[in-house]
Amino acid sequence: MDVQESAAPAASHRGDGNGSIPPFERIVADYGPLISRIAMSYEADPSLREDLTQQIFLAVWQALPSFRQDSSLKTFIARVAQNRSISFVTKQVRQPRLAELPEKLEADTLNPEESAIEVNEREMLLEATRKLPLPQRQVIILVLEGFDYSEIAEMLDIAPNALALRLSRAKAALKSMLEQSQ
Amino acid sequence: MTDFDLDRLGDVWRRQPDPAEMARLQRTAAAVSRRARFSQIFDIVAGAAVSAVVIFLVWTNPRFETFLLGAAAIVVLLVSNMRLRKLRQVELRSLTGSTEDMLDQSINRLETTLKYKLFSLIAIGPALAVGFLLAWAAGGNPGVPVAPALRLVWRGTTFAVLAGGVVYLVFAIRRERRELQRLRAMRESYRLEGESSAS
Repeated sequence: MDVQESAAPAASHRGDGNGSIPPFERIVADYGPLISRIAMSYEADPSLREDLTQQIFLAVWQALPSFRQDSSLKTFIARVAQNRSISFVTKQVRQPRLAELPEKLEADTLNPEESAIEVNEREMLLEATRKLPLPQRQVIILVLEGFDYSEIAEMLDIAPNALALRLSRAKAALKSMLEQSQ
Repeated sequence: MTDFDLDRLGDVWRRQPDPAEMARLQRTAAAVSRRARFSQIFDIVAGAAVSAVVIFLVWTNPRFETFLLGAAAIVVLLVSNMRLRKLRQVELRSLTGSTEDMLDQSINRLETTLKYKLFSLIAIGPALAVGFLLAWAAGGNPGVPVAPALRLVWRGTTFAVLAGGVVYLVFAIRRERRELQRLRAMRESYRLEGESSAS
């Protein structure tokens, strides 16, 4: 995936066209998995992760009235979730633990064998992502979430060239970690 | 996982959670929004109740002093509400802005809190000295007759509160210093990342 070739993928939930913010329940149904994955990539401890997930939901609930639709709702929620996760992590005295609960990652559409392989793959990916330095982790999470590069650059408030460099470093680090973990 | 294809990894990453996990997320979110709504309503009702009590007291005691105290109570209520609202807005702005801005704001806020707590810790010594001096100047006479047992309880409570306050401050300062170190390290990692991207 190259920065230049990035088209807008599945991430373009730009507003809803009529200027209104969907109800919170709808937002949870649409973006709950995104929030859960972001919480998972910052916090390995299940009880702390539950706490973090609640804090993200609360932050989104409080921030929604300030959403001005100058970006997509998904971008807005991902930004709030990442910032809340980072401030949560700074408050933790211990270092984040690295391996946790693959059963939470189970998908519902695969047979048991495929599911086991995919769970293992996701677990490795999650572990490797958690080991990345924060600026690189942010970029990788957003790419994995399917945001296009212009959205990521806007979200992180960095120039496209800087994003390309950061992403290439993050990809190299992630690749090396995934190879080591095999 | 031998091939490294971010698009494929993205598909693996974004696979929908199972229905049980999704239901758990929805329950969590519903509980959070319920609590947040309750908290909002509580703030409004509490403010209205305090204002109503103050107005009632002034209404039933129409004197200059009660009017003055009532007006002061309303002003304090308004100012504290406005301050709280401003703090929430600042926090929201930091959550919806860039991560670097959020880290800068968090560092500034924590530095201010730390200064305040350090000052409080240092001020306990001189404050105690002034208290002892005042007690000495009064000749140990509190001005009203107090039973010796009550005096002992009073002194014990005062000592416990002061000791508790000092212990709390020491631990809070240590915890916040560690948090500040982590925040600065994070900020530094962003700065280095930005510098190496620019060069």
